[in-house]
Amino acid sequence: MARWQFALVIAAGLAVGAGSAVVYMRQGMAPAGGGWMGSKVTGSVDADAWTRARVAVSGLLALNRGQALYFVRKTDEAGRPLRENCRYRVAGGALPGRWWSVTVYAPDNFLPRNDDGALSFDATRVHPDAAGQWQAVAASHPVPGAVWVSTRRAGQFDLTLRIYNPTPAAQADFTTIALPSVTRIGCEGGQGA
Amino acid sequence: MSRAVWLGVCFCAAAAVGHVGTVIAAPQVIMHVAMARLSQHDRLINVFSFSPRVDAHARWVVRPSPDLAYASCVYDLSHGAILVSAAPSADHGYTSISVFAANTDNIAVFDTFAQPQGVRFALALAGQAVPTGVPVVRATTARGIILDRRLAPTAATFAAADQARSADRCAPI
Repeated sequence: MARWQFALVIAAGLAVGAGSAVVYMRQGMAPAGGGWMGSKVTGSVDADAWTRARVAVSGLLALNRGQALYFVRKTDEAGRPLRENCRYRVAGGALPGRWWSVTVYAPDNFLPRNDDGALSFDATRVHPDAAGQWQAVAASHPVPGAVWVSTRRAGQFDLTLRIYNPTPAAQADFTTIALPSVTRIGCEGGQGA
Repeated sequence: MSRAVWLGVCFCAAAAVGHVGTVIAAPQVIMHVAMARLSQHDRLINVFSFSPRVDAHARWVVRPSPDLAYASCVYDLSHGAILVSAAPSADHGYTSISVFAANTDNIAVFDTFAQPQGVRFALALAGQAVPTGVPVVRATTARGIILDRRLAPTAATFAAADQARSADRCAPI
């Protein structure tokens, strides 16, 4: 076998292997229900090499589950990607922790580059009704009367839910958590719900 | 074995090595970059630095929370243990101190709900001397990051958190 052929095959194999690792690391974590993704081992010493790699790319310096649970979703209730030019209703009830927040992130895993001062909403800003249910709107422009999180310049974004000091039951089993729903209200250009 | 089979075997083996090697190396490399940024290229070691309020332009680490005030200390235990302390915020809102190893593992975390008077501990490698009477966290790597997170969703709460975190300590014993 010619040496150059051998070297070329090795180089191609290494490149394909490294590329597949990068694709893997950029993917989300395990389904947590209701369209959200999450991981029970984020930040912990129990994390395997693959989870560590994913966390390093998308959640570096994340806390372990005793302190915080992290959930990410990139789609609405119908499974469509979340997009800057659409408006979404984010709705839920009490969440099992001392405090929680929902934040918009652009595809580069950073906050969207806008100065709207509305990059997130949290447990102190929503107004639960008598049944404990709350609503907020994720959109590129404010909606009068609604708790608003700005998606302007977010492109095809995701929402991250953080629950701090989660209850032991929530830590043990994500399926016990009633995670918020994200429903498309409408889109610019007439593409409706 | 035919030449084509040999080439196929070599390709698959190299792909496996490339995949596993990248997965193993990525956390170390990414943490190295984060430590370089947070320490301003090793100018700030074993000392807390305080991040401004998180806004759309924050790029020091992925997925920063705009509802938190952050302070960070890049530690280096190669010359001995360090002492870490943090006082609670005046409003007794959420404050946590988390310790990360160079491979991203969250090796310890404390919060002011469990320790309302504040957090204080020694961080040391195995075998390093530490003072008596102080809780000890044994680090798994000589370098890493300590992160102080404080609940600060508004300008007023950020100002209060900023004042409280100014007493943070991360220094050689």
